[in-house]
Amino acid sequence: MNETVSQTDKTAATPSEHMVSLSLNQIIQDYPAPGGGVTRVIGGVDLVFERPGINMLLGPSGSGKSTLLNMMGGVRPLNVKTPTSGTISIDGQPCHGPHDDAVMVFQRYANRPDLSVYDNVAFPFRFKLWRERVPEKEWRARVAHMLDAVGLADKKALHPAQLSGGQNQRVALARALVLQPRILLMDEPFGALDAQTREEMQHLLIKLYRERPCLIVFVTHDVTEALMLGDRVVVLSTQPANVADDFAIHAPRPRSLDWQRSPEAVQLSERVLDQLHRVSPGKGSLRVTV
Amino acid sequence: MTDFWNPYVQPGPRMRRQLVLLSVGGLLLLWSALSGFGIVGPNRLPAPWDVLSAFGYLAWHDGESMLAEATLWSVGRLLAAGVLVVAIGIPVGVAMGASPRINAALSPLIDPFRSAPVVALLPILVMWLGIGEAMKIAFLFIGAVVYLIPMVRDAIQAVPQSHWIGARDLGASPWECIRQAVLPMAMPRIADALIVAVSVMWTYITVAEYVNAKVGLGQLIQNARRFSAWDQVFAGIIVIIVLALVTYQLMRYLKTRLFPWETHQ
Ligand SMILES: Nc1ncnc2c1ncn2[C@@H]1O[C@H](COP(=O)(O)OP(=O)(O)OP(=O)(O)O)[C@@H](O)[C@H]1O
Ligand SMILES: [Mg+2]
Repeated sequence: MNETVSQTDKTAATPSEHMVSLSLNQIIQDYPAPGGGVTRVIGGVDLVFERPGINMLLGPSGSGKSTLLNMMGGVRPLNVKTPTSGTISIDGQPCHGPHDDAVMVFQRYANRPDLSVYDNVAFPFRFKLWRERVPEKEWRARVAHMLDAVGLADKKALHPAQLSGGQNQRVALARALVLQPRILLMDEPFGALDAQTREEMQHLLIKLYRERPCLIVFVTHDVTEALMLGDRVVVLSTQPANVADDFAIHAPRPRSLDWQRSPEAVQLSERVLDQLHRVSPGKGSLRVTV
Repeated sequence: MTDFWNPYVQPGPRMRRQLVLLSVGGLLLLWSALSGFGIVGPNRLPAPWDVLSAFGYLAWHDGESMLAEATLWSVGRLLAAGVLVVAIGIPVGVAMGASPRINAALSPLIDPFRSAPVVALLPILVMWLGIGEAMKIAFLFIGAVVYLIPMVRDAIQAVPQSHWIGARDLGASPWECIRQAVLPMAMPRIADALIVAVSVMWTYITVAEYVNAKVGLGQLIQNARRFSAWDQVFAGIIVIIVLALVTYQLMRYLKTRLFPWETHQ
């Protein structure tokens, strides 16, 4: 039935309240270079994400993917101005600094060691912003539902140190999704997991995405992951980062091992690798898991 | 013996007891020998048994216990100063750690006191506060708080920025980030700071009670010294050491109970 799910189909199926747009306009980022002067890390990136979907941002390690994603999230390391120039707009509104349209899941899960799984997932509701927006009865229901959805309902009293890496990343994912964000920014969330757990997490993400589609920007340096998850794949070159390639994948998810071996997938994978070797030969590293 | 030079393997409780017995017992033995064979005279080093009987005398004599009374007074002063240290030192340290501007303004006023001769402040405090309880408590407070504040500040600053950024991303206001994300993560190190502060107060208690204390452990030692009752001086010092050690162990225990997550982070 949904053999031919494509971006256009999904748009039609999505209620207008989920419409969202995120655009990056001529983003440039310079960092101070060790010996004085500056290093251009991002060299004028233009990107527009206009509808719910899983958008993969693929680039070699050190290419500036985290920097770019943090900008979209409106968070930045203290004392660093980002972006150096360019604007990021959400629904056409330029945004400066923190904003609450987007929620991030970080490269290394940022779970609180002193809180239980339940309190970690319910953590955002300690803040005035969300307490005022979501009545307690509703957020408790959402937390319970998310714990169920990520399969941690029976572990809600445990602490992060008692969980595996994959379970910890589930907690981080649940904490982001209880807010029902319109934009979800994920920074190599499964990068530290073993291959099998990573695949489980990818399936979980697909399941949760179906339940409530939103605009996901998912950073990875894993070509296979990009092809398995993406509605759209944006390939970044490195030093400075620029959009080297940008294509859509229409195959339905979850994408099977057979699809991975299909001529389409093999061709896409080669295309990405060729692009990267062409734009930035010998710089950074990419991963291909088979 | 393969674990002799291995910092990560703790000895078992039995082994630990034996080692404590060996060191403490050895010291007592040496002390007994020095006194027993008359190598060091009682005017320079009282014999352990004399110290023990002095302890007994102080603990119970003529229907009253000088030691218990002195201990209660000293502990009381320490507690009063401790409450002030917590109530003032921790908020100030947290504010300094959380705001580099507050830190820039206050650290030149506080940090130098870590190496300043706090004891030399005593006459000044006497001048300002008189010779009563206020002066003693203020002295203990100042002595401890100048250590505590920088340690609390450092504890806050040592919390990884990711906790701040993560909370900020979830829509927390800057103050909520401090209160809900940074402060809880700094609590174990703040507890460490408090443990150090209490230890410092125990070392200063004798100095605080130097001036016009009618009763207290410091006064007890001071008084005994005046009459060259060295056995009582030794007994008093040992009591202070033991009390400090007990408080230290108690606070360490409380810390592991309150922050069990810290050890396996
Ligand atoms: N605060 C900073 N100051 C100076 N240089 C920085 C800063 N943050 C990042 N960089 C530099 O910018 C480049 C891109 O960093 P970034 O973390 O965005 O890369 P990434 O693509 O996410 O890499 P990875 O895949 O390893 O996570 C790196 O060369 C890094 O050294
Ligand atoms: Mg990164």
